[in-house]
Amino acid sequence: MTPDALFQLSGPLALFGWGALVLSPLSPLWADRVAALIIPILLSVAYTALVLAYWAGTPGGFGSLAEVMALFTTPGVALAGWLHYLAFDLLVGAWITKTARSEGISHAFAIPCLILTFLFGPAGFLAFHILRASRALTAKVPA
Amino acid sequence: MTALALAASPIDRIRQAAPQLTAITAILILASAPILVAMAIDPREFQGESIWLKPLKFHIALAIYTGSLAFYALALPQARLLTRNWRIYQGVVVAAVVGEVIWIGGAAALGTGSHFNLTVPGLYGLMGVAAVTLTSLSLAMGVLFWKTRATTLHLGLALGLILTFVLTVVIAGTMSSGSGHHIGTAVTGARVPVMGWSREVGDLRVAHFLATHAMHAVPLAALTGSRPAVWATAAVYTALTLGIFAQALMGLPLI
Repeated sequence: MTPDALFQLSGPLALFGWGALVLSPLSPLWADRVAALIIPILLSVAYTALVLAYWAGTPGGFGSLAEVMALFTTPGVALAGWLHYLAFDLLVGAWITKTARSEGISHAFAIPCLILTFLFGPAGFLAFHILRASRALTAKVPA
Repeated sequence: MTALALAASPIDRIRQAAPQLTAITAILILASAPILVAMAIDPREFQGESIWLKPLKFHIALAIYTGSLAFYALALPQARLLTRNWRIYQGVVVAAVVGEVIWIGGAAALGTGSHFNLTVPGLYGLMGVAAVTLTSLSLAMGVLFWKTRATTLHLGLALGLILTFVLTVVIAGTMSSGSGHHIGTAVTGARVPVMGWSREVGDLRVAHFLATHAMHAVPLAALTGSRPAVWATAAVYTALTLGIFAQALMGLPLI
């Protein structure tokens, strides 16, 4: 299987996980299993295989920005990096969904954070924390 | 709840008898998942086969080995492997297994040989120490069965496990002291399917395979319930293994 074929599979797989999170009020348990466990594990298996297959002999490193950019010139390693985003962004999305539910934050508020996390990972994580902080502040105001 | 639902499953009983061996068996099987995928995406080859075939074979073979020992622990007196010394010893064996598969997988990732790799001084010797350490558990458990050989099954397990250790150390030791597993120079690369043994020249891995599986073949004879049958099977199996070993040493393929 080529990195391109694996790439074609990984997108729909991750999207399925995000769909499960958006629809999580229907079945919180299964949404969490799919988005926080099954799909991240599948992506992690593929990631690990790519690192085993392509890491050795790849130009680049972690010492400078130029070295990190050089790492991504190898298709197999670039795909590994992409799967890393997909897996961990989805995990953050699952955490946001779960935390929102347990803290009584409406799913309608969680969804914009999920969309932002899906598109720009850390920005969605930040947005959810801003949302939680604002709730904590308003909760201190006497009724 | 019925009594059936409360009864421990076979896996639970094995896990209770040999928790460390059960855990390493599960780890070896689960950790072969990324290796399978790596085999599907990595175009690199080593000696004409996917570079990931060998790590996969070792994960499977070692899982069969540790899983069999865990299963055999059911025939020992209860909690026999759970004493402090036995736990420490099994911990050392598990560490040797982990060390072997990490290096064999790591060597594949680096695109180099794991066995017969003499580029790093001492490394190949260290692999040998780990290999003998992990094989020694079959001897140690074999001796336990020999001491408590109350039934024909115990006799079969004792002889099979002790033979696994003795034959494997002799054959694998001979193999590792040479320059590779072939005796002779393969030209066409014809192999036995799945196992990968040469069909042109002597291949010492055939005898290694038979030696290591004495622990499965000899106990099967115990199912006849006859002690002489167990002894005879052990003798014939040993002769067969040594005969195939001699054939390979003469540079002749198995088939």
